[in-house]
Amino acid sequence: MSIDLLVQALLNGFGLAMVYVLVALGLTLIFSILEIINFAHGEFYMLGGYVTYYAFAVFGLNYFATLGFAILAVGLAGVVAERLIFRYLRGKTLNAFIVSLGLLWVMQASAQLSFGVLDKPVPSAFSGIVRAFGLVISVERLVVSLSAIVLIAALYLFLRWSRPGRAMRAVAQDADAAALQGVDIELVSALGFGIGCALAGGAGGLLAPVFAVSPAMGALPVVKAFIIIIIGGMGSLPGAVVGGLLLGSVEGLGSLFMGSAAVSVLGFLVVILALLVRPRGLFGGA
Amino acid sequence: MEPSRGFGAPIAGLALLAAGVVALPQLTRDSYYLDVATTILMNLALTMSLRLQVSTGQLNMAHISFMGIGAYASALLVTRVGISFWAALPIAAVVAALLAFPIGGLALRVTGPYYFLITFAFSEVVRLFFNNFFVDLFGGPSGLVGIPKPSALPWFGRALTFTTKLELYTLMAALLLVTAAVLVRLEHSRFGLVASAIRQGDLLAETLGVNVFRYKLTAYVVGSLVAGVAGAHSHQVLHSSDFGLEPMVLLVVFTVIGGTGSVWGPVAGTVLMTIAGELLRELHHYESLVFGVVLILTMLWAPDGLVALPGKLARRRRAGVSLAP
Repeated sequence: MSIDLLVQALLNGFGLAMVYVLVALGLTLIFSILEIINFAHGEFYMLGGYVTYYAFAVFGLNYFATLGFAILAVGLAGVVAERLIFRYLRGKTLNAFIVSLGLLWVMQASAQLSFGVLDKPVPSAFSGIVRAFGLVISVERLVVSLSAIVLIAALYLFLRWSRPGRAMRAVAQDADAAALQGVDIELVSALGFGIGCALAGGAGGLLAPVFAVSPAMGALPVVKAFIIIIIGGMGSLPGAVVGGLLLGSVEGLGSLFMGSAAVSVLGFLVVILALLVRPRGLFGGA
Repeated sequence: MEPSRGFGAPIAGLALLAAGVVALPQLTRDSYYLDVATTILMNLALTMSLRLQVSTGQLNMAHISFMGIGAYASALLVTRVGISFWAALPIAAVVAALLAFPIGGLALRVTGPYYFLITFAFSEVVRLFFNNFFVDLFGGPSGLVGIPKPSALPWFGRALTFTTKLELYTLMAALLLVTAAVLVRLEHSRFGLVASAIRQGDLLAETLGVNVFRYKLTAYVVGSLVAGVAGAHSHQVLHSSDFGLEPMVLLVVFTVIGGTGSVWGPVAGTVLMTIAGELLRELHHYESLVFGVVLILTMLWAPDGLVALPGKLARRRRAGVSLAP
């Protein structure tokens, strides 16, 4: 087998991996601040998809303006969900699981009732392909991947340097100690949940033209995000990026040798293997 | 709420459960409702055994997979090997329990959300395995069909048959009552006490000389054995999706809404939520919307589950606090 084919397979695998990393980063950010797993995360992704459909495909807004709008709108929806529901569930993992499940059903049913059950196609903003070094990639996927990388970088800078970002990291490390230092836990919790959802919304906006928009579209990226988080370690941002690259390369290379069903089994087997070697994920803390 | 340790309470609870199980088919002989009733009993066995695992502080998302393993094992033993259902039932349960050793042993190396996610990964591997591999054995995506009903049993010179819905209900009822008796007995034993200690603080329990891992693994294997029985009890058709995330999530909903602090929590949760689900069926499109709202409000209003609610209300009344949440 030629090296070109292997590299091309890797590139195909990486193609959408960065978008799934965005979804995973949202999940892991919410987990590290509120200690809950938000099962309705994929529904915020779905919301981003519908915002994109209406703003871009129906009203004809600019692609990148649409993306920004989707991120803001879904982030706002996340803040509302946190204030109304999730702030009462901080640290109650089991209860939050049930509640987020309820929210998942509510959001999916609302989407079905208001947008219909049928897939809504979103036209591609970019066409054509790029050839370089004997490799082929579509412009659309390139833009999607690069946009995702920009968003990941923005999140990193925000958490690393900004005041609210540092407050978030402080709460993630030790909420009580952060509160004693004057960090407003309520504010950080609402902001963290909102940003987490905004990332999912951005991912939904990015993938809306790649796949179609539908009420159940959130299931696949969330499963991938879970795999990424387990590999990389819960609550770790670099872990999520590495986990995404690992999953992307395993899926890309796997698709050379086996069918898509077997590839999805492969993803879960990588998870189990990773946990056997590093029970808390590659970058997980103690 | 901690379970009462008195001797009377578990006996009274079991008697109440038995009375309910006997009374249920008296209400209706309608074939649809008998199916619902049988499903309730099967889910009771599953949620009560899931709660046994939760009682050591772990939410096992692969519980439904052991039901699937029991179901496929029993079906293949009957159709391919040709042994009787009554021999296949215990063997299938033991197969589920034996597989629980390595899977539980691996998963229990981690705790909390990691455990939740790794067991979820296991359940997906098992489901995809039944769905995509050895298609001529497991039936693949179209499922395994043509599984015969249990053969007749001799009973004091008569033959006990298992062909009608009522007879199949009776079989599940007998299996459930035995299971419930064992699980309730376990709850009120030294094992139940230690499990509760582990849930409240596994480090503390470990320093007091409790082998936490062994207790968790025991709960895992016993729970999987029960799930294997529930799976093997009798299906005429098997689909891998019956053992996927969706039914698993319902089991967790039943268990947590009912309350994990008491052995009776899953019973209350399973019965009430199934009835609620049947009533909501009338709403058609709005069914899952309303069900979701019910879940959210119940969890916010009764965070320790429905069985903890009477005690909580009584305490509030004594303290003279208003009932507004």
